Amino acid sequence: MTADAYRKRSPVAALVLGWILPGAGHAYAGLWGKAILFFLLITALVVAGMVMSRGTNLLPDRLWYAAQVCAGGPALALTPVSQYLATPRESVDWADPLHETGTLYTAVAGFLNLLVMMDAYIRLAYPGRRQEETA
Amino acid sequence: MWQAIGGFFAHLFSLSNPLWWYYPLCLVVAVVYKATKFDEPRKIVLAALHFFGSVSAGMIVLAAVFYVVSRVF
Repeated sequence: MTADAYRKRSPVAALVLGWILPGAGHAYAGLWGKAILFFLLITALVVAGMVMSRGTNLLPDRLWYAAQVCAGGPALALTPVSQYLATPRESVDWADPLHETGTLYTAVAGFLNLLVMMDAYIRLAYPGRRQEETA
Repeated sequence: MWQAIGGFFAHLFSLSNPLWWYYPLCLVVAVVYKATKFDEPRKIVLAALHFFGSVSAGMIVLAAVFYVVSRVF
């Protein structure tokens, strides 16, 4: 995509779209290959984390959730499932290494989506500079 | 000391080692991070493999040091 075409698109819209659906910011910027790659990898991390912790890791009352929610759509969609499966709280084995790893997977997915969102924003906000860096 | 090092490698390659779960995570982090840095697929793959190799090697060295220290002292 040319620098002029980049200027016609809103960086803030790319940021918001990237949060709603991982990779959507890049799709908005016309980078479909990267959009699909980011969507698949970030969603796979969220789902893998859920499976590892038997669906009990996306709980809004835990500090981890601040990182997990950055994964946007997939994390938000799976939160009610997690809340249902983690009821009552005594039924969850918090010390299980797989539960901890699953929680880490979803939190890292959130941080990675934050990075992807910022990349989409910077590509549209500073198109010339980004092209120089990646050349 | 040598027994501890041998024990470390036996533990490292056993399937019950939770460290195995960190390799897919590390690979995904490497690919996503490098895909934000480069546009060419070939560059992304090479840089991601380099990043993954460095982090994995670092994790193994660190784990070996901690394991030996915990067994010897």
